[in-house]
Amino acid sequence: MDRQQEFVLRTIEERDIRFVRLWFTDVLGTLKSVAVAPAELEGAFAEGIGFDGSAIEGFARVYEADMLAKPDPATFQVLPWRGESPGTARMFCDIALPDGTPAKADPRHVLQRALGKAADLGFTFYTHPEIEFFLLEQGFRPGERPEPVDNAGYFDHVPHGTGHDFRRAAITMLESMGISVEFSHHEGAPGQNEIDLRYADALSTADNIMTFRTVIKEVALEQGIFASFMPKPFAEFPGSGMHTHMSLFDGESNAFYEAGAPYQLSKVGRQFIAGLLRHGAEITAVTNQWVNSYKRLWGGGEAPAHLTWGHNNRSAMVRVPMYKPAKGQSSRVELRTLDSACNPYLAFAVILAAGLKGIEEDYELPAETEDDVWGLTGSERRAMGIEPLPATLHEAIAVMERSELVADTLGEHVFDFFLRNKRAEWDDYRGEITPFELKRYLPGL
Amino acid sequence: MSPRQPSRTATLARLGFAEAARAEQLLGDRALAGLVDPFDDEFSDGLPDALGDTADPDLALLSLVRLMESVRADEPRRRDSEADPEGSLSGLVAALRHAGAARDRLLAVLGASTALADHLVAHPEHWRDVTEARTLTTQERVDHLTGAVREPGGLTAYDALRVAYRRELLGIAAIDLTSDGPTATLPDTAEALADLAEAALEAALVIARAELGEKADTCRLAVIGMGKTGGRELNYVSDVDVIFVAEPADGADETTALAAATALATHLMRACSTSTAHGVLWPVDAALRPEGKQGPLVRTVASHRAYYERWAKTWEFQALLKARAVAGDRQLAREYLDAVSPLVWQAASRENFVEDVQAMRRRVEQHVPPAEADRQLKLGPGGLRDVEFSVQLLQLVHGRADDSLRSGTTLEALDALAVGGYVGRDDAAALDESYRFLRTLEHRIQLFRLRRTHLMPTADPDLRRLGRGLGYRSEAEVEVVTRWQQQAREVRRIHERLFYRPLLAAVARLSTSEARLGPEAARERLAALGFRDPAGAIRHLEALTSGVSRRAAIQRTLLPVMLGWFADEADPDGGLLAFRKVSEDLGSTHWYLRLLRDEGSAAERLAHTLARSRYAADLLMGAPEAVAVLGESAGLAPRPREDLLRRMTAAAARKDDPERAVQAARSVRRHELFRIAVADLTGQLDLRGVGHALTDVTEALVEASLDVAQRAVAESHGGELATSLLVVGMGRLGGAEVGYGSDADVMFVHEPRAGASEEEAQAQALEVVQELRRLLASQGPDPHLGIDADLRPEGKSGPLVRSLDSYRSYYARWSLTWESQALLRARPIAGDEDLGRRFLELVDPLRWPEKGLGPREVREIRRLKARMEAERLPRAADPKTHFKLGRGGLSDVEWTVQLVQMCHAHEVPALRTTSTLEALQAAVDAELLDPAHAEDLRAAWTLASRMRNASVLFRGRPVDSVPSDLRVADGVGRIMGMDPGSGAELADLYRRFARRARAVVEMDFYDAS
Repeated sequence: MDRQQEFVLRTIEERDIRFVRLWFTDVLGTLKSVAVAPAELEGAFAEGIGFDGSAIEGFARVYEADMLAKPDPATFQVLPWRGESPGTARMFCDIALPDGTPAKADPRHVLQRALGKAADLGFTFYTHPEIEFFLLEQGFRPGERPEPVDNAGYFDHVPHGTGHDFRRAAITMLESMGISVEFSHHEGAPGQNEIDLRYADALSTADNIMTFRTVIKEVALEQGIFASFMPKPFAEFPGSGMHTHMSLFDGESNAFYEAGAPYQLSKVGRQFIAGLLRHGAEITAVTNQWVNSYKRLWGGGEAPAHLTWGHNNRSAMVRVPMYKPAKGQSSRVELRTLDSACNPYLAFAVILAAGLKGIEEDYELPAETEDDVWGLTGSERRAMGIEPLPATLHEAIAVMERSELVADTLGEHVFDFFLRNKRAEWDDYRGEITPFELKRYLPGL
Repeated sequence: MSPRQPSRTATLARLGFAEAARAEQLLGDRALAGLVDPFDDEFSDGLPDALGDTADPDLALLSLVRLMESVRADEPRRRDSEADPEGSLSGLVAALRHAGAARDRLLAVLGASTALADHLVAHPEHWRDVTEARTLTTQERVDHLTGAVREPGGLTAYDALRVAYRRELLGIAAIDLTSDGPTATLPDTAEALADLAEAALEAALVIARAELGEKADTCRLAVIGMGKTGGRELNYVSDVDVIFVAEPADGADETTALAAATALATHLMRACSTSTAHGVLWPVDAALRPEGKQGPLVRTVASHRAYYERWAKTWEFQALLKARAVAGDRQLAREYLDAVSPLVWQAASRENFVEDVQAMRRRVEQHVPPAEADRQLKLGPGGLRDVEFSVQLLQLVHGRADDSLRSGTTLEALDALAVGGYVGRDDAAALDESYRFLRTLEHRIQLFRLRRTHLMPTADPDLRRLGRGLGYRSEAEVEVVTRWQQQAREVRRIHERLFYRPLLAAVARLSTSEARLGPEAARERLAALGFRDPAGAIRHLEALTSGVSRRAAIQRTLLPVMLGWFADEADPDGGLLAFRKVSEDLGSTHWYLRLLRDEGSAAERLAHTLARSRYAADLLMGAPEAVAVLGESAGLAPRPREDLLRRMTAAAARKDDPERAVQAARSVRRHELFRIAVADLTGQLDLRGVGHALTDVTEALVEASLDVAQRAVAESHGGELATSLLVVGMGRLGGAEVGYGSDADVMFVHEPRAGASEEEAQAQALEVVQELRRLLASQGPDPHLGIDADLRPEGKSGPLVRSLDSYRSYYARWSLTWESQALLRARPIAGDEDLGRRFLELVDPLRWPEKGLGPREVREIRRLKARMEAERLPRAADPKTHFKLGRGGLSDVEWTVQLVQMCHAHEVPALRTTSTLEALQAAVDAELLDPAHAEDLRAAWTLASRMRNASVLFRGRPVDSVPSDLRVADGVGRIMGMDPGSGAELADLYRRFARRARAVVEMDFYDAS
């Protein structure tokens, strides 16, 4: 037993914790939780807690179902929303097979592997997501339009608004769980909010995103409202993206920074972007994994639907943000395709892999796009060599299927499961009769 | 010319000068005036004789001349100064004129190291450091070096450090080079060098503090020596391994303090490793710190402890074994050591300890650039690193329970291991001697130019110097190489000596005179070496070595080595158990013992095979005498079909009863299977070779058994059969691509003899076939060989055997496309040859249809395949990893190839083959398949076939899917030539290849674009 574990056990004793939730994530990015009593925890540290992997999306098939959840004591947190005493706490887990080796189906392991590969090249991967989501009135029923909690616009301060209280409560709770929140404001649509998580290494960020989504939902419930990370709930308003700033560090220094280069962007930075662009279509099924995701991507406005990059171009897929003089460490690129409902572990893993590929194979960065891509005609885009991202989940699956990069990064098991699951989702969707069809066809045809 | 001169030259040559004429000239040099006495030759105690005692008299003489020139040139200036009131020259001349320790030391240094000679020439005033050298305490050395950098005189601090360092080195070398037994004083020399490094680090810290100024006061910094520095067993020139620990000084902010400490450490490293006009000390290497080069250079004690508690790998604990305070804040260093040292001794109980250790062992053994392998003193099997590593490993394993084993110094630890009985006394003594010898060689090689090298020199003069330095006089260059190779051979058996022999001593209870490994320690050791059931292993060892029989005696000598071979493989326990069984069966036979003892590689091959392959072990346990193939010359080349058939027929002929006859033939098969398995496991057969060999055995057995069956049926019918029979191989048998787990797919054909009635012929043919199947299906000595005739017309509902005419009329009326497709791989394998020819004439037009296939037939094949994919896969099987029927599996590839064959064989003769790979190649050559597609298919088919074979070899029974159990996957991976421990990659590897093949199948078989 090491000190971290002792610390956890002691805290449980002192704070009268009655349940400990062991958290992990399935392949689709849903948080899973196994509750154990404190008495079982010592055993869980030593050997892990056994569970039936076949019950979890994408983990295992029936006959090889035994898996172990091994709590990571460094992630121990008392959960603030269950009342003070007796309390509940949580720890993230690594998933292992009965012989102790990491389970290939564990998204956390997929990301760890990708980070390991970056480390072999001498890089650490940092990310900083801006997470958007909607606050809605409770009591939504299928077929009805969801009701936003307010009607404010971008950067509006809503006096005594529900959203305001909500944000204060959410930030307090997040901070009490050790998650630093950088900035929050009201986004462009009614009921829409954005909270930025502070820069951290990609694994911590992914853990934090999982915690964040849970906290937000929990706080919303406490306040009698409802939070959703659905990418595009309203056709007429912008969707919820998760623009993510990222950079590679080489030891202590930012590998994207080079004094005097255009936008202070180093060769490594340019190659990284080139990798994102060249493999952007292949990884879209992972970064934008739902049928609904493509309605955000292709919904116009600021959503990026083409493989382009630019400096301060809000229609570009990859944006190189304004450079802040004398802040070499802040050099970064922003990927704008991701949405808030992705599996952050898998998404970060494939993004990193695409960027590293650009570095390893020395990709040439194509010309910057300065125009608003949505303002160009189709022929203009063709002439400029601007390729579109997949238009539907179906197209995204088809491109991903042929991707060695994604297969390598996810591992064959997750790759295969993911594709099968997404094909099934597409088939289900195709079988639906939508309000659009009823509205347009039923009366006239 | 004086008459004495020729004899003078001869004298010098006799004294050991290689270039006597030049030596004579140099001896007459003005610089040596007053040193050479005309009476030297008479008394044999003059300068030439003293020079002759050095490692390299020519070098010593030349250097001496240079030194004296330098001294004389300096003399006038020096005499005026206050620095050397007594006068250097007179003292030095006096020392050199008279025989004695002073002269010997000076000449020894000059004759062993050009680098130190250069130093003396540049700093002649340091000569007394040589002549008056004595063993100094660490503190004295620290005082000397820190004093030098505090008052550097006219030099920079960096230069002063370098000069003072070399000055100390003079004394160490002087004592080392003139000791009576260099190997005996080796530990003292290594200790002195470590102390000197410690002093240099302390002095470098003084420099660093001065450079940094006040900021340095915000932190406390301790330097921890690691590696050979930490172990106080340093080389003359080597990286100095350190770890830095820092804490804020009282009242200082932690962030500021750590930044200051980092700067301090950086300056310290630079002070040692920067190259100046006065040379360089050595690189300071801080890569052993937590997180290696990625990690912060300095950490606090708490941060170190947190790292070791949570993240550290086994090798990092092994490195910590040597941690020792060497410079800076001693109190802080003590806190650090108190915090982390206890963790070292828990390392052996951590998860993955065994796997880590094995991976580390492999790294030690493999990490040698091939070009240098035979000159390496340090790396590679039996190198110095291997000795150090092995000793440390035993310390980690046994040091938890026994704290007498916790020394950081290799030789001390080795001694403690011997005292505690963990290693045999004699073995420890022999290893101790070899280690000292190799280290001494290393020291002398490095000393020559003060270069960091671990390679034996190759040039004769270098070898000669090395040999003479160790005291060899005649043919020193040959003698030193002989001695080196002899010692290296000893050390190469280190694992046997250190790891395994003590285990034998523990169980065999032989000599009681010395301490032995206790039972608990023996179990720990076996577990650390990879045995999963140490208690079982000890029982087997006891059984194998107890008693006074000759067998037990031989095995007691053999087993220490064999245990190492078992431990190298995936299933050491299985290997040891199988060996015990074989040995119990054969133990008293003469040839078996001789085989093990004398055949050299036979015992090694046996051990590896048994611990690698359950299949081979099972074959051998059933028929131990097959072990003989290991000792036969060319014993592993598979026997050709005719040869096997002859042996089987002969064996069968010796038995009257048909069952016993076929059993005899099957014994031959078992023997041959063992041979093939061993050849496969040792890499002497590739997939194609294995396929052919297994096909030959199968064919020979079917042929021999058919013969027996025919005779038996003939006898029961009065002597003559009314029909002749033919067995046609189908599937992989027809394609000569049989695997270890394959059934024999066949069709039976007969043709009534002239005059025989058809009914009678058919009845007798059926009787023969049924008898054949019965004989082969019964329990036998060899692995089961299933005879599968399901590919016959009408499948299971059709008659088991048909006449050629019946085939003809059936195919004329009914033939289905899938039946024609199956015929693509039809090849007569046993029975009537002429009938075989005519059968092929009958089926050729079916399988290679004249105009290829029509669209309807192509569609039919595709539909059938699609339905098979949905229905044929066994219920529990995973379509992603099932070798035969999974997506991208064997069947996928074969059907794609067969579709091409049926469509185009009429126009492309090369496609008319039963072999999948040959047909695939023919399709590429004829541009019917895209080469890249064909490569994906070939790769997937080959991988699936190899993996299936390897799985059978490992598990000893047929295997249908990629093993999901990691231990099995590891064993299978090793057989396939993957690195040990890569079992987890196996399924990924298979699925990647299968996925690509499946994409090709979608395009080329199903014609999806």
